[in-house]
Amino acid sequence: MTLLRHAVRLVVRERRRSWAALIGVAIASALITSVLLFGVASGSTVTRRALADLPVDAQVVLAPGADTSAALAIVSADPAVRTVSAFELAHFDSAATSKSGTATQTSVGVLVGVEPSYAATTGLFTLSSGSMAAGEIVISRDLASNLGAVPGDSIVFVLPGGGQAPLRVSGIVSIAGADLLLGPIDAAHRAAGANPPANVAVMSRADLESQVLPKIPPTATATDPAISNGSAAGPSPVFAADPAVRRELHVQLDHAQLPGDPVAAQTWLDTVRRRIEKQGAGGLQWIDDASASLEPLAADLAWGQILFIFLALPGIFLALTLSRLAADATADATRRHAALLRARGATRNQLRSVFMGATVLTALVGSVLGFAFGAAIGLALFRAELAAAGLADAFFRAGAVSIALTTILASLAALLPLRAQLREEIAAGRQELQRTRAPLWQRLYLDGLALAVGAVVYVIAGGSGIHPVLNAEGNPTVTLALTSFVAPLLFWSGGTLLLLRVVRAILRRSGRVARVMGRLLGPGGELAGRSLSARAEAASRVIVVLALAVSFATSVLVFHATYGQQQRIDAELTLGADMKAVPNAPATAATVARLAGPGIAASTPFVDRVVYVGPEAQDLLAIDLATLPAVAPLADSFFQGSTAADAIDALRARPDAILVSAETAKDYSIVPGDRIHIRMPDATGNLKTVDFTMAGIALEFPTAPKDAFLVANQSYVAAQTGNDGISFVLARAAGDVGAASTSLVRRLGTGWQVSDLRTTTARLANSITSVDLSGLVLLDVSFAVIIAAVGVTLFLLAGLTERRRELATLVAIGAEPKQVRVSMLGESLFVGVAGIVTGLLIGSLVGLTLLQILAGIFDPPADFPAIPLTLIGAMTGVIVVALGAALVVADRGLARLSVVAALRER
Amino acid sequence: MTRRYAQRGIDPVVAVDSVDLEVDTRSFVAVEGPSGSGKTTLLGLLAGLEAPDEGSITLLGHDLLRLSGAERARLRQRRIGIVFQSFGLIASLSVVENVGLPLLLAGLPERERQARSRAVLEEVGLGSAFGDRVDELSGGERQRVGVARALVIEPALILADEPTGSLDEANAAGVLQLLTDAVRRRGASLVLVTHDPASASRADQHYRMRDGRLTAGALA
Repeated sequence: MTLLRHAVRLVVRERRRSWAALIGVAIASALITSVLLFGVASGSTVTRRALADLPVDAQVVLAPGADTSAALAIVSADPAVRTVSAFELAHFDSAATSKSGTATQTSVGVLVGVEPSYAATTGLFTLSSGSMAAGEIVISRDLASNLGAVPGDSIVFVLPGGGQAPLRVSGIVSIAGADLLLGPIDAAHRAAGANPPANVAVMSRADLESQVLPKIPPTATATDPAISNGSAAGPSPVFAADPAVRRELHVQLDHAQLPGDPVAAQTWLDTVRRRIEKQGAGGLQWIDDASASLEPLAADLAWGQILFIFLALPGIFLALTLSRLAADATADATRRHAALLRARGATRNQLRSVFMGATVLTALVGSVLGFAFGAAIGLALFRAELAAAGLADAFFRAGAVSIALTTILASLAALLPLRAQLREEIAAGRQELQRTRAPLWQRLYLDGLALAVGAVVYVIAGGSGIHPVLNAEGNPTVTLALTSFVAPLLFWSGGTLLLLRVVRAILRRSGRVARVMGRLLGPGGELAGRSLSARAEAASRVIVVLALAVSFATSVLVFHATYGQQQRIDAELTLGADMKAVPNAPATAATVARLAGPGIAASTPFVDRVVYVGPEAQDLLAIDLATLPAVAPLADSFFQGSTAADAIDALRARPDAILVSAETAKDYSIVPGDRIHIRMPDATGNLKTVDFTMAGIALEFPTAPKDAFLVANQSYVAAQTGNDGISFVLARAAGDVGAASTSLVRRLGTGWQVSDLRTTTARLANSITSVDLSGLVLLDVSFAVIIAAVGVTLFLLAGLTERRRELATLVAIGAEPKQVRVSMLGESLFVGVAGIVTGLLIGSLVGLTLLQILAGIFDPPADFPAIPLTLIGAMTGVIVVALGAALVVADRGLARLSVVAALRER
Repeated sequence: MTRRYAQRGIDPVVAVDSVDLEVDTRSFVAVEGPSGSGKTTLLGLLAGLEAPDEGSITLLGHDLLRLSGAERARLRQRRIGIVFQSFGLIASLSVVENVGLPLLLAGLPERERQARSRAVLEEVGLGSAFGDRVDELSGGERQRVGVARALVIEPALILADEPTGSLDEANAAGVLQLLTDAVRRRGASLVLVTHDPASASRADQHYRMRDGRLTAGALA
């Protein structure tokens, strides 16, 4: 207890020492806390965004014969359920229409029966034109396009089992967002990425029950679209057939009850599922669409949090280094206090215990203060997200981790120099004592060793550490080898030690440094040079801290700028261009002219049709080569083994040329020059085989899905199929995309649906790989600036403390105030210029390495990294201003120096 | 002149109390007194490192209170040599660099600094040690370096604060002899403050200092 009391007294009495140490520890703790809170906030954001886009959280499939009303009562009574809507679906084998003596037929599809309130509740099946009249149907754009049907026409649906249902069309309906609900419900089909039907008709549930369902035998099954060509129907050879009729309840849950963490959210969803299935007593099967959406997020988030910690790790290390600098700055006070305690009879062990106790106590208090600061930052930046995730829980977890981690690490960081200081006191050493022997790492060349091992690991790991893959449900997720972080960590630590070695070597050449600085700044500069050489250890340490702080901020800024650039490209890829206009009624390439007008720089017609390569459905993108390159972004990285220009030239070279995706080329062993037979719908909707010549491999293409797709000449496809209909028009804005989009919507009227980049970017942000890193970057860069400023301030103050007598002697023998000031300015300049320049260089290199290692999270991969010169310049400017402020602080310390009193000190 | 130091909660300490002191050109003045009597403060006032609360100081024809901080620094840089009890050397610099410091502050080129420093080091008997680090020297040698640094500017006045206080008897005698001889050779004045009556006894004028007050006269 006595020793503890002495430790507390030491902390309280040596206020300067305690504050200096507290600042370093608090910065580290605040950084750790805010990064952890960022992780929690992004988890919460990602969870909510993922589910916000989902129209229905769960599909409850009713067993044959189950009572719909009873099931509705059970589900709607659950406290987690917000809305329940009944939904029925019947497959049809084909649909045909006859106009002016010409019959048109199309292949399989589905008839959907919903309540009138369904569209308002779920946002699905909204009318594009016409109305939903009793006893009539509204049809999807694809079905209308395939049959050439318009409101007022009649369609005859051939149902499984051979029955027929003639129904009159009263409007066109959008089926956007309904893929999951219209597709198969069994896990095997979903895992195979089964395409949902495009031929869809929607009607009231009562009409479906009265006009369609009675015509389908209870044992009938749905026809697999892959083997249907309108004449031969039958079951799929691969998957179990879906029943011809499905009765479901579509459930929306109360998201306010949902935990922010995706894993906890999945557990909660599972609890709800079990509860409802138990009450349904085998009559209900819960298809958890929400969990399926969250599953990849949980894995992504875990790796994402490692990425966040990795991005913040250098900052945490640097902040802890401040504890070391603080110990240096207050070494004199430590020695004096130790001498006092020794004079009062303290033994060596007691002395050690008192100082260790004081160090741990300071680290603990600093950690708690830092946590409070970090929590305040977290609240200011991510209040809404943290509230959604549960404030108390988030703060408790972040607090426990950051306080424990920082206390341990800061104690270790401060105890190392303390041991040396106490040893010096015990040996009655003087503050001028110089280390004559190089430190162990330097003698063992650990810097070179770390760099060499890092290079070997980097080569073995193949550079890139993160790869996107598809999980069992076909959702993209991220895999990452933990070893891929080993190389950058070794580069970082080896580079740091090498920098330390080089700076020390330069500074120890006292004559040269002093002469150069003397030439630049006069006698004060020469004094600065000699002082820097004399304090080579401390100076090299602060240069390294500054360089690493700048490099840390620079690498994060480079990473973030490239991340943003790729996010935009990703959005452009998904949408296809700045804007996309989809006609509600069948349209041809000639309608492109309607888009011309203010704000539109160029536009191109685009055909996206489902075709079959063997039994596999793929998207055929038929493009207009004359106009597409001016509208859609085409990067070299989109194509394998050729540039974008070469790939387009290859398509131009022959009308039947086709680009295939890498997956298709691999699956079917296709190489350029091979002939490919593809089945695609002709003008009548029947599948027709068309021959193409393989011209190259496309890894990405505007509007294309990630896996299987084909790119061909639009004119060739139209000529071969006799179908010159287009799917949509892509357009490039002449200036502001938002303004151009608004103007286009006004011009085109209600017959078109226009979407633009802004809405697409927001919609894409539902995975950890598209989390907005701005908050983390702001945190990292701010802390880097604070660390740089505090580091240099501590260095200058340590200089004042260590050299009180030396400075007093200089003043006494005639140093002018200006010369002493210039000397301090010279030290700051040298440290600042060396630290910032080296930091910018290292930061750019680390940023590029980071991009290489994390290349997999960019889709598509970056052709060139983005270097945000303005932001880096602004960050450097802020650090320079902070160094200026540090100089002012040190100057004030110098002004308070009492020369006579300092000369009296022994 | 009078110099007081304010202290929290108690009356100010009067370190130098109404002192009148006149030092003639080429004279050797000794101020003898026990620790805490105000000797070092008096020397600080004479060097222009502190300003008196009352009174005035005229040094080498300059009214110190009318000079700016920079002007006082330049006066010390070019005309006043100071020798400290604990040597006041900079451990990281070599012997010759320590001696040349005042010349560096005066803006002299390195070659001239080296030449003059070497000459004065020869004079104090350290001709062979000019490249050594000062922490490799003995106490007596260190103080000789301190004396050489005070002499290198060819001062008109040397202020010595207990220059033999950290030395043994033999070294103390040697350093004092060296100092007085060098001062006389240069025709400079020397003000020595010391608690050692034997050292003070060599001076032309003797003063005693007790509780900040200066009294003239031979030592008892």
